[in-house]
Amino acid sequence: MSQFDAIVVGGGVNGLIAGTLLGRRGKNVCIIEKSNGFGGMASYSVDGGPTLAHSLYNLSPRALGDIGIDTQHPVLSGKPVSTVSLSEDGRHIVFKNDGVYWSDGTKHPESDAWSDLTRQLITYGDLLRQLAEAPPPGGQKAILSRGGLNEFLRLAKLGIGLKKLGKYEMRRFLQVVLSNVHDIVLDDLSEGPVAGMLAADAIWGTATGPRSPGTVFNLIYRLGHGGTITQPAGGMCALTDLMVEAAQKAGCLLMPDTEVSRILLDNDAVSGVETTDGRTIAAPNVLSSLAPKLTSRMTGPSAFDIETMRRVRNIRARGTTAKVNLRLKDSSALPSLSDELAHERLIYAPSVEYVEAAFNPAKYGQMSKALVIEAFKMQTADGASWLSTIVQYAPSDLEGGWTETAKEQLAEIAVETLSRALPGLGDQIAGKQVITPDKIESATGAPGGHWHHAEMSLDQLLTLRPTNGMSRYSMGPKGLFQCGAATHPGGDVMGLAGRNAALAALEAQP
Amino acid sequence: MKVENRYDVIVAGAGHNGLTAAAYLARAGMRVLVVEKNDWIGGAAVSRSLHEGWTYSNCSYVCSLLRREISRDLELPKYGLQVIPYEGGASFTRDGDYFAYYSDHNALKREMARHSEKDADAYRRYSQAIMRQCRFIRPFLLRDAPDPASLHPRDLGELAYLVKKAHGLGNRELGETLKFWTMSIGDFLDEYFENDLIKAHLAGSGIIGTGLGVYSPGTAYVLLHHYMGDIDGGIGAWGFARGGMGAISNAIAASFKEHGGTIHTGSGVEKILSKDGRVEGVALEDGKVFYASVVASNMDIKRTVLHHIDAAELPDDFTKAVRNFKIRGSSAKLNIALDRFPNFPAAPEHTSFLRGDLHVSQSLLELEKAYDDWKVGRWSEKPYIDMLIPSQIDPTMAPTGAHMMTVFVQYAPYDLEVDGVKSAENWGEKQRNAMAETVLDQMSVACPDIRERVVHMEVRSPLEIEREVGLTEGNIFQGELTFDQLFFNRPVPGWSQYNLPIKGLYLCGSSAHPGGGVMGAPGANAARAILRKETRHGRMKGYAA
Repeated sequence: MSQFDAIVVGGGVNGLIAGTLLGRRGKNVCIIEKSNGFGGMASYSVDGGPTLAHSLYNLSPRALGDIGIDTQHPVLSGKPVSTVSLSEDGRHIVFKNDGVYWSDGTKHPESDAWSDLTRQLITYGDLLRQLAEAPPPGGQKAILSRGGLNEFLRLAKLGIGLKKLGKYEMRRFLQVVLSNVHDIVLDDLSEGPVAGMLAADAIWGTATGPRSPGTVFNLIYRLGHGGTITQPAGGMCALTDLMVEAAQKAGCLLMPDTEVSRILLDNDAVSGVETTDGRTIAAPNVLSSLAPKLTSRMTGPSAFDIETMRRVRNIRARGTTAKVNLRLKDSSALPSLSDELAHERLIYAPSVEYVEAAFNPAKYGQMSKALVIEAFKMQTADGASWLSTIVQYAPSDLEGGWTETAKEQLAEIAVETLSRALPGLGDQIAGKQVITPDKIESATGAPGGHWHHAEMSLDQLLTLRPTNGMSRYSMGPKGLFQCGAATHPGGDVMGLAGRNAALAALEAQP
Repeated sequence: MKVENRYDVIVAGAGHNGLTAAAYLARAGMRVLVVEKNDWIGGAAVSRSLHEGWTYSNCSYVCSLLRREISRDLELPKYGLQVIPYEGGASFTRDGDYFAYYSDHNALKREMARHSEKDADAYRRYSQAIMRQCRFIRPFLLRDAPDPASLHPRDLGELAYLVKKAHGLGNRELGETLKFWTMSIGDFLDEYFENDLIKAHLAGSGIIGTGLGVYSPGTAYVLLHHYMGDIDGGIGAWGFARGGMGAISNAIAASFKEHGGTIHTGSGVEKILSKDGRVEGVALEDGKVFYASVVASNMDIKRTVLHHIDAAELPDDFTKAVRNFKIRGSSAKLNIALDRFPNFPAAPEHTSFLRGDLHVSQSLLELEKAYDDWKVGRWSEKPYIDMLIPSQIDPTMAPTGAHMMTVFVQYAPYDLEVDGVKSAENWGEKQRNAMAETVLDQMSVACPDIRERVVHMEVRSPLEIEREVGLTEGNIFQGELTFDQLFFNRPVPGWSQYNLPIKGLYLCGSSAHPGGGVMGAPGANAARAILRKETRHGRMKGYAA
């Protein structure tokens, strides 16, 4: 007799959402997490510093709705932030919803061009969101079955959406979505910080540069929910706390500090999991939010055919993003920035070419000597003031490994880079934290510390995510599902992968 | 108006695609004139003698993609075309070793095993995967690309054909195909092989002629572009046209002339004339004017639209899209007359692989680094080179005992950076020679005595190729082969079916679907589009002059 209807392995955002959704549909669910807190990468922090993820831009209202979190909840209705592209000459550029401005408030000459392009990409994002909110196309269901009909209707809706764009826009969509951000941006904007900002937004978390075909898709993915960026009130942990609360309310049993060592099989069907401390927890369904490689290893290679194992092995996940947290001496404003601007999202990406050049060393396992940086000034619960930064590119497979010296060097480069636009920043820093991809990997299990668990390149998207033949959440033995960022539609604090997986599991065994 | 100035169709540019289109139209009974700016024909498929006794294939240099349907339709063998396949090739390393590629499967397997047993085993799976992709794509080369935004029965028909073909693959294979098309050649090879040298050797075809690196998504498709051809049914085989690549153009031209075609050389098109949205003819640089109700341009789309048509005649959206069309110069060429066969110390005596394509590449990362140099406007410090000595197989190319060598160089930028300024004008004599030295250094790894063997050397920068052949930025494909510029996106969305916004004006060069290479497909497809749209019952539709 099984203790649970389903076990969710891994309590990150997607795991929590998958478990909660199942719980709310009357299933008896247990969510197992190896660390002592839930939230995975979203809430991961070191020594009370800022969390790994520090803002929200594409959290799915649909996923939230399905787990009973009100999108108007005070935690989520934080102030939308603008983006500030930092400039060495002190003339920073501010991107707001209604256009682009210089830091002195005058309109930037490329404001309209930027707005037009962004609006266009958001329109495309709206369309593609329909695809994100369901399993990817290409199911094997008979067309006349309910599932088959649903899929057909969804595709028809997408087709109608495309048609509604009009001939010109539809054709442009089919071109742009496959293109690289370097070309698309520089077709309409001149080289410089405005273009650089868009290039940077297309490469966060990926092992690609602006010239790599497919990067426009990343940008659209980011803008898929309207493009607004918010910081949850109370920090990212407040959001994950909210999700934990929702899970409990749905009746899920949360098991922190428990590590799954094996996924157990009985006659080619899942029977439960075994933990490292020797316990066996029985359930006919296991949803793993771990990367496919880990999941297959836990299940044992004999459960999958050789071709599947080969494909799983070939999934690319090369993390190139690190976190550098800079503790500030006091909470006074940052140099060269007004107090108001200091609390917006700060970006250092002076040009598209700069971003591309920053990518070059990463290809050969070296860290960039000039980083692309996203920074937020924030206060942690203990009242300390921080500059929380995400830096590209810091490859997971750094030559010589991520030694203390290498980490120190990365932090120094980050400060140096920021100091170009914020002169004197170095004097304000009281302490540094460096969270490198290898550390992210060991803490969260994400392969290569990759925040999407698998590269978001065109050959690993939709029906091909995480790999060919494995896109519809189920994997190998009966009752085994994947619900992590490696599955369609992908990672970020979005939640759709977990939600879609839970729905797929429900459909498979109602 | 004089009668001899009037034709049914004028083709601007005597490249192999222009000639192909012209030959098909002439066979269909049209009166066709081909105008060419150079004193010779062939465009980039040309043989020229720049040093007495030697013949250079001085742009394109090997043949495989030319569609056999075209060869048959135009009876090219009858007009002198002879393609001789070559066997194998090799990549040489700095430490004195090499990887040889043999067309013989067993020999290749043995050679692979010398470098890696595992890779020798993987090769079978790899070649099967490539072959499946080739088989899938080949039928599309001589068909039109449908416009997905159109409800025209032809578009729906072509779309249905595509869906049928895709469906026929089955879900699993379709997934593999989509993956292949969107992958980088580097990632693709990493999935199969472990040996750096083997990967480097196989990766070359994925970057030739493109402004992409081996790890840029989409380069696996470019590889296909070099594998989907055939010689006498041997899919993926490459060969030399006897007499150089110009033999292809000459055979097509002969076939064209035999069917009543006229070629006018020595004066390029100054302007494509049009009135009220309808093409009228062309005005040449030498002042001559020829009239026709149909003009097919073999020039690339940028050159055609931005330099030879009145901007007022075209919709702004279209002109903007053409301006944004990416044609990036990324390759250079050395053509060398050798006094005798150079010494390849690493190669065993009497080996067959020296008759094929020879390279000096060590690893995928080295190739990727070569791309990084190009991105900032420099030629690669360690370029990818594709060198061949066709005179071993085709003795007509050089005097007895002497040899002719063709060296393709990737990457060389069009806008060369010198002292912080990026400009094509920087390609002066000094820079050209400096680049040649870099290439000769790289070649010396394989044949250390190469410098002593040189009798005459032609160095062609992207600028030089642009000026002589007319290819914008010297891009050999008349436009990058990236997803956003292929199939229904080629050359620009909405205009993938050879016609352009001016009635009667067509594109018949590689800027159009299915793209570049000495393939002839764009020319043949354009001719078909012209016959369909501009003729009725085998005659030109009547237009007011």
